[in-house]
Amino acid sequence: MSTAEIYDAVLTFDDEQVPELIKAELENGVDVHVILNQGLVAALDEVGRRFSEGTLFVPEMLLAADAMEAGLDILRPLLTETGAKPVGTIVLGTVKGDLHDIGKNLVAMMLEGAGFRVIDLGTDVDPGEFIAAAQEHEADIIAMSGLLTTCMPEMQATVQAISQANRTRNVNVKVMVGGPPINQEFANAIGADGYGMDAPAAVAQARALINA
Amino acid sequence: MTWTHRERVLAALDHEEPDRVPIDLGAAEFTSITLAAYEKLKRHLGVTTETVPMSIIHSVAHPAEEILQRFGVDARNVQPGPYVGGRDHWVDENCYVDIFGVTWKRTEKDVDQHFLHKDGPFHGGKLTVERVEEYDWPDPKNTGLVAGVRERVEEIKKLGDYAICLYLPGGVIHRGYAMRGFEDYLKDLYKNPVALCRLMDKLCDFWVETAQTVIEAAGPENIDLIYFGEDLGTQDGCMFDPDTIYPEYIKPRHRRMVETVKSLTGAKVCVHSCGSVYDFIEHFIDIGIDVLNPVQVTAKNMEPERLKADFGDRMCFWGGINTQRILPFGTPEEVAAETRRIIGILGRGGGYILNSVHNIQAEVPPENIVAMFDAGRAYTYEDMHAHA
Repeated sequence: MSTAEIYDAVLTFDDEQVPELIKAELENGVDVHVILNQGLVAALDEVGRRFSEGTLFVPEMLLAADAMEAGLDILRPLLTETGAKPVGTIVLGTVKGDLHDIGKNLVAMMLEGAGFRVIDLGTDVDPGEFIAAAQEHEADIIAMSGLLTTCMPEMQATVQAISQANRTRNVNVKVMVGGPPINQEFANAIGADGYGMDAPAAVAQARALINA
Repeated sequence: MTWTHRERVLAALDHEEPDRVPIDLGAAEFTSITLAAYEKLKRHLGVTTETVPMSIIHSVAHPAEEILQRFGVDARNVQPGPYVGGRDHWVDENCYVDIFGVTWKRTEKDVDQHFLHKDGPFHGGKLTVERVEEYDWPDPKNTGLVAGVRERVEEIKKLGDYAICLYLPGGVIHRGYAMRGFEDYLKDLYKNPVALCRLMDKLCDFWVETAQTVIEAAGPENIDLIYFGEDLGTQDGCMFDPDTIYPEYIKPRHRRMVETVKSLTGAKVCVHSCGSVYDFIEHFIDIGIDVLNPVQVTAKNMEPERLKADFGDRMCFWGGINTQRILPFGTPEEVAAETRRIIGILGRGGGYILNSVHNIQAEVPPENIVAMFDAGRAYTYEDMHAHA
């Protein structure tokens, strides 16, 4: 029995086995952080890598996230007890005027799997809602998604509002953007701090922004 | 030789070069123009004809005949009539339930005002064969579906010799997402395929039986193209595994749809799927699909040169004008140049119908719409070969 089996169970999307294996490892005295990082986070990183290279697809990402979530359900209260802090806190949502959410949901799952605390505001989110949530939860990053080209101006307006809040209110938050019509060039043009081409890239970008 | 509109389309679909590439606007629900963009276009062209929506859900217009004439559009749309006596109803002005029991919502803040499926009869819980079988499915023999179909065909024939495209809504993926929930449908493909296949069979039954009655009403000899919409690609890749999931669970249903309509008419068949669908194209060819739409050239592996090189002799392309960058944010000159570029690649040897990648979106300036169609109409095959 080892965390390798937990890793394998996530990669085979076995949401029943993952929590059982975790309980067994805990009973064996394995540290909760070791189980999290070697069993779950590493597995989800591998899923993300395969997704980016095109050998795993959206359904498998969703199933891996379910398996990981089943494991996190066991670990979460234990992590809280140890006083472990999340890697970072991210407020996430789809911009105002856009109801699409599957891309955002995938990013949320991957970020949680990577150890971030994620506050998912859902879809059609006003700039003010993003800022208020960032303040309330002392977020490190606001992450915005959008599928519609029609909403790209809205994304720009939201980034500007956040920059304004950073300057004039008690807010200190980085901004990253993503979605099918978005690219690095657009992210740079609107003043975003980061961009993720897909969900795994979003995790990498979030990690980079935290470590910067 | 003087080409009629229909001859132009048929030549292109047979991989021959007519005088110029055929042009489409509005032959189907995803090759048209959103209502917001349409109103701006009307004002720009001085058209005052009242707007007729093709679809409220997708916020799409039936472009007025005078606009189609202005742009030299070669195809015309026919589609089933409105279902009568079904469960469809408006909950409020931003929420609609369709005949399949799917709830569609929009946000007031979306410039384009189009709806997204947000709830459905099989959302949540485990999908079972019993749940699918016990559902009160809409009736493909509903008289509303054939209402006005023959009249529309006759109306088109009076206008001239145009290619007639029969748009048959739904399929087994897109409607499946709507009824089951996007994420659960995708997970069911891997974890619960038996029940999901039963759902897809029900959707396939409805589509096939609707096709049979509507084709009969239209007159099989009158139809040149049949178009249906699905959803297999994302910006960066396939939605699901093209080598295992698609051939095992979905392709047989698509094969049945295509073979049914091809047993009834000599029409070519077009499948619509956004995103990166390169890895599905051999499958599409295998089951008899003739045309791919909308050809999202900005998605992974969807470079027009690659598509034409690898599939151009066996697949036609309908769409292709960049809807994420050039059409909405370019200058009219850039739009015209891109149109000529795409024609020069996808249209060489025939096999291309000019259209934007998906419906013309709200932020596309009317000058760019005019630039696209005028460039397409002016750029003849003679020009293409003179500059080759």
